[in-house]
Amino acid sequence: MVGSDITIGQYLSAETALHSADPRLKIAATVSAMILVFTYEGWGLVAFTGMMLVILLAVRLPLMPLLKSLRAVWVIVVLTFLLQLFLTPGEVLWQWGFLSVTDTGLMNGVVFSARIILLVVLLGALTMTTPPLKLADGMQSLLRPLKYLAVPVSRVATVVSITLMFIPNVLEQSRKVIRSQMARGADFESANLLRRVKDTVPVLVPLFVKVFHDSDELAVAMYARSYAGGEGRTRLYPMKAGSMEVLFTIAFVVACIALSFL
Amino acid sequence: MGDADSFRMRMEGVRYRYPRAGSDALSGIDLEFEQGRMYAVLGRNGSGKSTLARCLNGLLVPTVGRVTVGGLDSADGASGLEIRRNVAMVFQNPDAQMIASSVEEEVAFGPENLGLEPALIRGRVDRAMDLVGIRELARRQPRKLSQGQKQLVAVAGALAMEPRFIVSDESTSMLDHDARERVLELFGRLRDDGLGIVHVTHFLEEALLADTVVILEDGVVADEGAPADVLSSPDEVRGLGLRPLEVTVVIRELATLGHRVPAGVLDIEELLSWLNA
Amino acid sequence: MAERLTLEEVSYSYPLPGREDLPALDGISLAVEPGEVLCVAGANGSGKSTLAQVCAGLLAPTAGSMGYGGEKIEGRRRLLSFRRKVGLLFQNAEDQLFADTVFEDVAFGPRNHGLKGEELETRVASAAGHAGIDLDELGGRSPFSLSEGEKRRVALAGVLALDPEVLVLDEPFIGLDFDNGERLKGVLGAYREERGASVVIVTHELADAWSLADRFVLLDGGRCAAVEEKSELVRGDIELAGLGMRLPQWGALARGLIRCGVAVADPSDPVVLARAMAERRRASDGR
Ligand SMILES: Nc1ncnc2c1ncn2[C@@H]1O[C@H](COP(=O)(O)OP(=O)(O)OP(=O)(O)O)[C@@H](O)[C@H]1O
Ligand SMILES: Nc1ncnc2c1ncn2[C@@H]1O[C@H](COP(=O)(O)OP(=O)(O)OP(=O)(O)O)[C@@H](O)[C@H]1O
Ligand SMILES: [Mg+2]
Ligand SMILES: [Mg+2]
Repeated sequence: MVGSDITIGQYLSAETALHSADPRLKIAATVSAMILVFTYEGWGLVAFTGMMLVILLAVRLPLMPLLKSLRAVWVIVVLTFLLQLFLTPGEVLWQWGFLSVTDTGLMNGVVFSARIILLVVLLGALTMTTPPLKLADGMQSLLRPLKYLAVPVSRVATVVSITLMFIPNVLEQSRKVIRSQMARGADFESANLLRRVKDTVPVLVPLFVKVFHDSDELAVAMYARSYAGGEGRTRLYPMKAGSMEVLFTIAFVVACIALSFL
Repeated sequence: MGDADSFRMRMEGVRYRYPRAGSDALSGIDLEFEQGRMYAVLGRNGSGKSTLARCLNGLLVPTVGRVTVGGLDSADGASGLEIRRNVAMVFQNPDAQMIASSVEEEVAFGPENLGLEPALIRGRVDRAMDLVGIRELARRQPRKLSQGQKQLVAVAGALAMEPRFIVSDESTSMLDHDARERVLELFGRLRDDGLGIVHVTHFLEEALLADTVVILEDGVVADEGAPADVLSSPDEVRGLGLRPLEVTVVIRELATLGHRVPAGVLDIEELLSWLNA
Repeated sequence: MAERLTLEEVSYSYPLPGREDLPALDGISLAVEPGEVLCVAGANGSGKSTLAQVCAGLLAPTAGSMGYGGEKIEGRRRLLSFRRKVGLLFQNAEDQLFADTVFEDVAFGPRNHGLKGEELETRVASAAGHAGIDLDELGGRSPFSLSEGEKRRVALAGVLALDPEVLVLDEPFIGLDFDNGERLKGVLGAYREERGASVVIVTHELADAWSLADRFVLLDGGRCAAVEEKSELVRGDIELAGLGMRLPQWGALARGLIRCGVAVADPSDPVVLARAMAERRRASDGR
C-alpha cells in the first residue's frame, strides 16, 4: 500500500543469474560502468541503454521495481534537464522572454538526465540483486589489498555494511512510520498535494530517530554474534567467481570502454 | 581457557545506569551462572531483566562492579570477542536482530563470523533449523516473516554458534504451543549436555523447568533459589508481580471453602484425580 | 457505539516481487458484532497479524470485501473514515512508536482527531493510566529508551487514546507482567461495557483471551478452521492440538469437571470452578 512504492536500494529476493553472481564482480562491473557513463555522449548513451536493457531482460530481472526507484530521483532529473536546457549557450532554437533553448542545451539536457537515470538503474540493479551483507563482504574482499597501505579494511567494511543496510532501513522505517500514523488517523492517500507535503513533515523527524535507533540495534545484533568487520569471516556460500561470470564481466567492461569512443 | 567446570559467568556488585537515565537499571547484583544448569530470570516490566542479559555477554559494561565470563572481564575490550563467542544471545525483540537476506544465511551468520569451513557451517545451520523446526523457511527473507517465525530464526541463530551459554531474553514469548514446547525441550537437552541456559520469562511454567530461579525487583535480586522453594506459595508469587499457577489459585479457593488439597498437587490432572479419589 | 464489521471471503497475499505471491489469508468470512470481544487465535504464521491489519484497514484485501455498519468499505473516503473508527495495536511495539517523547506518541492520534489543550491532556492521561504508564515518570522519555514491556504499554496507550469504536489488538499480552496483564483485561472489559466498543484480541495463546472473549476464531494456515464459543471449546468440538494450540488450564479443569458430571457455569472463573469442585467433593463425601 502506501510507501511500498519506493524501492531504491532495496534488495529483492529472487533467483536470477545476477543474484547468484559473485558480488565482487558485480561491484567491479557496476563501478566501472558508473564511471564510464560520464564519458558517454549521444550514441554511446543509446547503445549503453540498449545493452543494459538486453542484459536485464536476459536475466529476467523484474523491471518494475527498477523503474519505480526512478520515482525517487525524478525531481533531480527534471531539474537537471531544465537547467541544462535553458542555461547552456549555443545556437538559439527557441526563445520566450528571457528563456532561450539552444541546440547544445537540448542535447546536454537529454545527455545529463540520461546519465543520472542510468546511474540510478546501475546502482539499483546492484542493490536489487545483492543483499547488503554480501555487498559488504564483496567490498571487504576487494579492499583487502589496501591493508598493505595501512588502511583499516575491516573497520571500513563494517562501516560500509552498516551504511549499506542503512539505506533500505530508511525505507522500511519510513514505511513503518507512515503505517503507524495512518493507523492513527493521518491521511497519506489524499489527492491534495499540499496536504501530502504537509504530512511528510511529521514523518521525517521521527524517521531519523528511528533509523538511528534501528541501525544501532542492528549493529549490536551483528556484534553480539561475533561480527568483527569481516576479518576472518567465512561464508555458508563462499564467494566464487565462475569462469563464465569472469568472462562476462570482462566483456561487459570492455564494451563499456568501447562505448565511450562512440 | 579453563575446563568446562570452571567456565562461569559471574556478576560482582554490578550496577548499571543507562546514559542520561535518572536512576540505576541494575543496582547491585551478585550472581554466578554455571554451565550445565538452567536459570530462569523473572520480574516485573522494567525490573532490569534485559539489562542483566545484556551485561552477561558484554553488550553492556557495568557502570560499577564487574562481569567476568570464563575469567575474562567484560570491561576489557580485548576479551569482548571471546566472551561473545561463548555467550550467545537471543534478544527480546526478534525484529531488531534479523541481519541477513535469507533465513539460512541468517542462521549461518554467527558460524560465518567464527571462520568455520562452509561444510561445517552447512551442518550447523541445518541442524539448528531442524531443531527449532524452520527448515521450510530456509529461503525466505527473515524480515518478511511473522513475528513468531522470526523468534524461532533468532533461536536457531544462537544455537548455530554452539556457545557455552545461551542467554534467552523472553525468546519464547511469541511462540505457539508446539514451538514453545520444542524450544524448551531443546533448552533442557542442551543443559543436560552441559550448556548453561539463562532464560528470561514471564511464565511460571517455564521457570519451574529451571534449576535456579532468580527474581529481580527494581534492579536487585529479590529472591534466588530452587523453583520449588521460591515459587511454592501463591501469595509470594503474587507479591513479586508474577502470575500464579492456575492450580494453586484453585487450591487456595478450595481452602477457603474448607477443602484441603494435599501438598504436591501441581497440575490440573492431579487435581482432577484428587477430586475423584 | 460500534457497528457490525463484516469480512466476506477476504483473501490477502503478500507480493514477493520476482516470486509467486505468498497467500497469508484465504477466503475469510466473519462478522465482528457490536460490543463483542472476539478472539482471533492460531499458530505462528497462521495469518493472525495479517488479519488484524486487514480488519484495521491497513492492508487492502487482495480479494473479497469488507463492510462496516452495513456499508461496503470501498474508495478512499470510506476507507479513511473507517480507519478513524478502528484502533490497531501492532504486534511489534517498535513498528508503532515514532515520536520523540512518550507523551507525544500517545497524543498523536487524538491530535489527528482534532483534540487540543486540556481535552487532549485528559485523553492522554486517561489512556496512559489504563495502559499502566506513569506519565510523570515516563512522559518525557523517548519511547525507544524504554524496556520492552514499557514500550508495549506506551503503544497500547496510543491506541486507547484514539477512543476507537473497534479495538484490534495484536498480541496485547506478550511481554506484560502479570499485574499489567490483569489491568489490561480489566480495562478491555470496562471499555466494551461503557463504550459499547467491539474488541478483537489476536493471540497465539487462548488463555490470554479466555476470560474476556465471547467467541474464538481459529485460524489455520490462512483459513478459518472454526468459530467457537467457550463452551464448545471446553466440550472439545474441535481438536486444538492440530491447530498448534491447547485449551487453557481453566478450560481443561472445566472439561474435567464436566466429564465427572459437574455443571460449570463459567469455565473461566476460578471461584466458580472451585465451588463446583467443592460441591462435587461434598457429594462424594456424603455418599
Ligand atoms: N511482510 C511480509 N511479506 C511476506 N510474507 C509475510 C509478511 N508478513 C508475514 N508474512 C507471511 O504471511 C503468513 C502469515 O503471517 P502473519 O504475520 O499474519 O502470521 P501470524 O499468525 O501473525 O503469526 P505469529 O503468531 O508468528 O505472529 C506467514 O507465512 C508469514 O511468513
Ligand atoms: N536504552 C535505555 N535508556 C534508558 N533507560 C533504559 C533503557 N533501556 C531500559 N531502560 C530502563 O531501565 C530499566 C530496566 O529495563 P529492562 O529493559 O532491563 O527491563 P526488563 O526487566 O527487561 O523489562 P521488560 O519486562 O519490560 O522487558 C527500565 O526502567 C527501563 O525504563
Ligand atoms: Mg526486557
Ligand atoms: Mg502475528
